[in-house]
Amino acid sequence: MKTLFTAFCRRNLALAKLGIVSNLEYRFNFIIDAFIQPILSVGVEVLLWIAIFKTADSSGLIGGFAKENYLAYALWAPFLGRIAISWMYESMMVEEVVSGSINTILSRPISFFEYYLSQTMGYKVITTLFSMTVPLFASLYFKLPVHYDRLIPAFMLVVYYLLLVHTMSFLVSTLGFYLTRVRSFTLLKNLILMLLGGELVPIDLMPKYLSDILLSLPFSSGVYVPLALITGRADYNLLYRGFFNITWGLAATGLLSVILWKRGVREYTGTGA
Amino acid sequence: MKYAIETENLGRVYKTYSKQEGIINSLKGFYNRKYTEKVALKNASIKIEAGKIVGLVGSNGAGKTTLLKMLSGLIYPTSGTAQVLGHEPWKRENEFLKKVSILLGQKNQLWWDITPRDSYALLTKIYDINETQSKSRVNELAELLNCRHVLDTQLRRLSLGERMKMEIIGSLLHSPQVLFLDEPTIGLDIVAQVSIRNFLEKYVKEQKPAIILTSHYMDDITQLSDQLLLISKGEIVYNGSVEHFTQTTDLKKKLIYRLKNSAEEKEIVFNSQELTQVLSDLSKAGEVADLKVEEVDFEDVIHRFLQAESSPR
Repeated sequence: MKTLFTAFCRRNLALAKLGIVSNLEYRFNFIIDAFIQPILSVGVEVLLWIAIFKTADSSGLIGGFAKENYLAYALWAPFLGRIAISWMYESMMVEEVVSGSINTILSRPISFFEYYLSQTMGYKVITTLFSMTVPLFASLYFKLPVHYDRLIPAFMLVVYYLLLVHTMSFLVSTLGFYLTRVRSFTLLKNLILMLLGGELVPIDLMPKYLSDILLSLPFSSGVYVPLALITGRADYNLLYRGFFNITWGLAATGLLSVILWKRGVREYTGTGA
Repeated sequence: MKYAIETENLGRVYKTYSKQEGIINSLKGFYNRKYTEKVALKNASIKIEAGKIVGLVGSNGAGKTTLLKMLSGLIYPTSGTAQVLGHEPWKRENEFLKKVSILLGQKNQLWWDITPRDSYALLTKIYDINETQSKSRVNELAELLNCRHVLDTQLRRLSLGERMKMEIIGSLLHSPQVLFLDEPTIGLDIVAQVSIRNFLEKYVKEQKPAIILTSHYMDDITQLSDQLLLISKGEIVYNGSVEHFTQTTDLKKKLIYRLKNSAEEKEIVFNSQELTQVLSDLSKAGEVADLKVEEVDFEDVIHRFLQAESSPR
């Protein structure tokens, strides 16, 4: 048992390193993904909140929070959003199934899910380490209201959420067994995650019935819940709820993925490889 | 006798979407798609012993790769059974996957952005092999293939021949007992082909794995194979030794001639016993200016055999 576990850790660590090495190989792609895209999004969101606060009432609050709270939210949200969403590895996974290059993985003693999970995690860890320096230093410099003591539990939730993100990517990639082009599903799924995750607008600003629904779904745990925690919009109860929501989300997407995968590999023709 | 590979009536049917030309048919296909079934392989029954190389030959689309993919566990059959080293391949148990290897000659199986040595280190962990043994095996195989100097160059910077050698090392790293080689020499120059062929010959003598080899280069088949499997339209049409095939086939000689006042050389392929009849027929065709009789080479024999098998009956 111990040997199996050691072998599991060794190969996953090696694959995580592969994820890091492969991505650092393409420097410009990495810089755009980790810095340029989120910085541009931050610019848009900050401008938006400054404009909105010009119309705020005499209290200077919206939804009970001041402009600085929203600026802190706008600063962190795009960076967390980039971490909590999967474009690149999901596209690679879909491509593997559709093109038949998945054969290389199927013929080796490692599962497709595990193979990409370790690489995704490796990539996300390195991206997080680099990109999070921007909101961290900006928050310190502009003295934005950020609870730095809550960063570790918030990021633990994000890491757990990544498991769900990867399972969703796995689910989308299994569609490649049935459909020739799956790219539109990735686009649709990521747009939905952006909307339901609270990356654009804090969920607590939405009508009560809608925010209740969104907070019952696991998608809010990727951006809104950790952000609400570190910007002081919510307390630890929401964090625990986030862990719970991810857990049932994992169970549901995991079950559906397994069903689609098992059926898919039976139909799989390995064409093109 | 316990065989390394044993199949019984193995078959696979593919379902494909058949689309007619034009925008109207594309729109129709949006809500009403017609599917057709294509038999890629049917009733394939084979037995292969350990330490033997089997040459699998057939024209494009004959079902060679389908058979390899089923035996390596990549795809499921729609009928029949198969046992490879006592495992049902498509269950893809780790124990099974650690004992087999498939090399797809037209695909990269190592990682593009890292060096082969890094790829082997990764494979060592995936296959859970002893690191010291793995390193010495890489050096040993690289020595045999004469390619130690490229082990530390990124895969994407290597030539096709060097890449193929690296792929071969990767596929042999875990000492598979069964090896599926799909076009291992495709696109390579003569020197690289010979080098890989000699390596495989030596490797099989020493390690005794069972190998199924597909190749469009008949030299690969004749030099390496103990057993020949000819496949046509999804059916195995010959299963025996290469020698037996060349001895028993009817197509054995080729008469090349040129008629007077013609620059064009023509040829007739015939059975040895038919020589008198062929010459008699030829004399009636006109005055012969030039004539020679040759043995039909193996590639030609196979080509004609498969052509005869695949033509409508």
